[in-house]
Amino acid sequence: MNDSLNLENIKKELEEKLRKVSSEQDLLNIQIEYFGKKGILRQLFSKVLEVPVEQRKDLGEKINNLKKEAERVTSERRAKITGVEAVENTDLYDSLPGRKPEIGHIHIISQAINEIVDIFKPLGFTRVRYPEVEWEYYAFEALNMPLTHPARDEWETFFINAAPDKKYGRMVVTPHTSSGQVREMLKGNLPIRMLNISRCGRRQIDISHVPSFYQFEGLVVDKEISTTHLKGVLDYFASNFFGEDRKTRLRPYHFRFTEPSFEVDIDCGICHGKGCKLCKEGWLELGGAGMVHPNVLKAGGIDSKEYTGFAFGWGVERTYMMKSGTKIDDIRYLFGNDLRFLEQF
Amino acid sequence: MNVLIPYSWIKDYIKTNAKAENVAKALSLHAFSVEKINKIKGDDVFEVEVTPNRGDALSVLGVARELKAVLPRSGFKCEWMQKDVKIPQFEDKDKLDVIIKDKSLVPRFCAVVLENVKVGKSPKVIEERLEKVGIRALGNVIDVTNYMMMDKGQPMHAFDYDKILGHKMIVRESKHDEVITTLDGVERKLPSGVIVIEDGEGRLIDLCGIMGAKNSEVDENTNKVLLFVQVYDPVRIRRASMSLGHRTDAALRFEKGIDYEGVLSSLFEASEMICGLSGSNVSSNLIDIVNEERKLKSVAVDYEKINRIAGVEISKEVVNQTLSDLGFESKGESVVVPSWRYDDVSITEDLAEEVIRLYGYYNLPGKLLTGEVPLVHKDLSFHWEDVARLFLKHDGFFECYSYSATSKKNVSKDALEIINPLNEDLLFLKTSLLPQLLEVIDGNKGYSDKIKLFELASVYHSKEGDLPNQPLMLGLVTKGINKVDLKGIVEALFDEMGVSSYPSFNVINHGGGRLGVEINFEELIKLSSKVKTYTPLTSFNSIKEDLTFEVPEGITYQQVERIILCSSERISKLEFKDIYKNALTFSIEYLDKEKQISSEDTQEIRKNIFKSLENIGVRLR
Repeated sequence: MNDSLNLENIKKELEEKLRKVSSEQDLLNIQIEYFGKKGILRQLFSKVLEVPVEQRKDLGEKINNLKKEAERVTSERRAKITGVEAVENTDLYDSLPGRKPEIGHIHIISQAINEIVDIFKPLGFTRVRYPEVEWEYYAFEALNMPLTHPARDEWETFFINAAPDKKYGRMVVTPHTSSGQVREMLKGNLPIRMLNISRCGRRQIDISHVPSFYQFEGLVVDKEISTTHLKGVLDYFASNFFGEDRKTRLRPYHFRFTEPSFEVDIDCGICHGKGCKLCKEGWLELGGAGMVHPNVLKAGGIDSKEYTGFAFGWGVERTYMMKSGTKIDDIRYLFGNDLRFLEQF
Repeated sequence: MNVLIPYSWIKDYIKTNAKAENVAKALSLHAFSVEKINKIKGDDVFEVEVTPNRGDALSVLGVARELKAVLPRSGFKCEWMQKDVKIPQFEDKDKLDVIIKDKSLVPRFCAVVLENVKVGKSPKVIEERLEKVGIRALGNVIDVTNYMMMDKGQPMHAFDYDKILGHKMIVRESKHDEVITTLDGVERKLPSGVIVIEDGEGRLIDLCGIMGAKNSEVDENTNKVLLFVQVYDPVRIRRASMSLGHRTDAALRFEKGIDYEGVLSSLFEASEMICGLSGSNVSSNLIDIVNEERKLKSVAVDYEKINRIAGVEISKEVVNQTLSDLGFESKGESVVVPSWRYDDVSITEDLAEEVIRLYGYYNLPGKLLTGEVPLVHKDLSFHWEDVARLFLKHDGFFECYSYSATSKKNVSKDALEIINPLNEDLLFLKTSLLPQLLEVIDGNKGYSDKIKLFELASVYHSKEGDLPNQPLMLGLVTKGINKVDLKGIVEALFDEMGVSSYPSFNVINHGGGRLGVEINFEELIKLSSKVKTYTPLTSFNSIKEDLTFEVPEGITYQQVERIILCSSERISKLEFKDIYKNALTFSIEYLDKEKQISSEDTQEIRKNIFKSLENIGVRLR
């Protein structure tokens, strides 16, 4: 019997027509064509009487199914064109939650970077970009760390298998954003208020270290810059980034490229410097900072008799994780790209 | 480097009313960070993080010296307890023939021979002190050398004098592949350039500054000991210890520099201690070979500069007193650097650090920057990065961050290789963002049928004789999205960035429903524009319709598009709408800028379109 074949064709034709429809008027025309008084489906029903009695029931059922299918696809198309759902129960419809558009996620590192940039911008800092694969010279020598110096051990540096440059030494994955300091100075524009945020690499991997990570580096070079200015800028950052009532504290440390050098602490958000279970004596370590060493200024072509400066360079991820509320306990998640992790930010 | 310092041991040097907690806090704020206080056998043992410039403080003496300056400034009493060192009675009996091949190897070479040594256990107080700093007691002679290293920061070594064949020492650099068995029983093959000592029979008897050799060690039968106290070339020690992977306490101290003037007093004190503990006596003359004369080092005190660096006024008296408390001797407008700080302090900035840290960095007020704001041209690439991120986020994309390094199979031929990778999977720097993004898709299989990912990061292509090309790239990878939709996303991003003529890009099918596109973002930025141009609006209405054509094999979209657009100037907009099998649907808009367009007009235009399209076999459906 070829009726079933016809029925299939009718459905296909309808779908094809619906697909091409783009206006409500066109849709209405199709509805009349199929579901109207003289419509295709009505005509089909009238054919039921033309077949032998024993087949009538079966055919009737098939046409009924087709009609239901046809109604379904048509109302679907209508919903798409008009934006109104085909519902009968309006109470239910009105009580539905909204259907959200599919929105993705900007990575937490990008969010952290933007937050940092926004804080330093009003102070006149401008973000710059320097090479991530860099010469050893800019990563160490220019920063007052000669080739044989033990201080270099502190940076677990990745070396690249490439011919060394006569002047600039070996090629490395820059282990810190400080490699941008002398490059910035060599641009020759003074004063300097630089914010260098960049991808770095070190040869370590554990709960608090990953081989790729981001640092943000502030560098200020100007006349009459003193430690109190560094302190002021750090306090400004701390109160904007961590919370209005938070303060920083400087402790002695040593870096070859700053003199004096500091370790920067922030008072614990829980006990505010009194000491509690979560912190060390009321303070948490943020990172390193210092007054730019005269040898670094010299490498950057700047007269240290006339100019002084300060610098700080900290891990973006680490700093962001110290912000209360983030609660990320393993830094490796940040580069793990598990979508169940990423969707939380 | 962290060092363990028992408080009871410090009290050999200072008398104070400060409690252990007070000491820890004062040290942390003014000198070195005390990481923690360990309670060991009723004692408080400080774990102190000593910075690499302060080799002098890797000892009880060094920390005590700091406390002498620091504690009074933190409100505690602190009295220095001077210890006098006795010069031993030397005897011209046992001799040592010393040949130093290159004076730079060992700036200072000191030794004495002790006879009638009875090797045995050390007294309990010494054993306990060593235990508190993590060193195992090994018998009186060796214990004294270790004790003195912790006490004074001066590593020393004891040889069995009679195992130095010919009583002769030749200090020289190693030859490539020479072999020595060190005290720990390990046979070590040496690279060239390591400082070693050869005896009269040509045997290597010391891996200098790192560890002694097995063949000349002190044992229970030893009768004569050569007590050996040196200053080695720090650079050679460091290089050797690193390349051998043998970082001993001695090496870590030698490479940071030794108090040149402290050598003799350490030697005297050690020999006195050994004599006292083992019933021995000195049986040689003092051997003291000075290969490098050290002149006194003076640094000018620039009070104004110190104040400028601090940002607060610190009076001359306070500056002078501080420096004097730290062992700097005043000499007119300059100070003489104490011998134990010889390598560390050279310029006014160094003095400023000493003065201000003792003043207390935490006492400095904060000031915001004043002065001229730098005139710089902003790097707009950061702006465009944000535009792209936001756009893609709102189209359902997840931003990913991947490591810079990846495995060999993920990179092209011009990839940079890492000499010291963490592992084989991180051997090369990436040359494309896509392979790692595809791995992210595979790693998140069950997450959803439809996944959209992007990453904005640099890739690295090697360049002959220069740093690599490291352009910023935008990588997009999707699953469950069709090609036309992904292309549309990219083109919509171009629109968002004000790119008027699209650069070409390829959507690559990576199988399993995965598609990828990679775009050089730096090049894209060059095409981007923030400028928006306004076209005057007309008061006439346009007419819109959809047209569907049957397109035969071999005809591209662009061919059809061009023909339609060329067939009339009154087509104001032509957009791809849909495709089904070979049926291509356009949305088309007609507009006449001079007058209201009529349906007769559009009919005419349509006719033209059909006629032109017929030439390439395209027909209205």
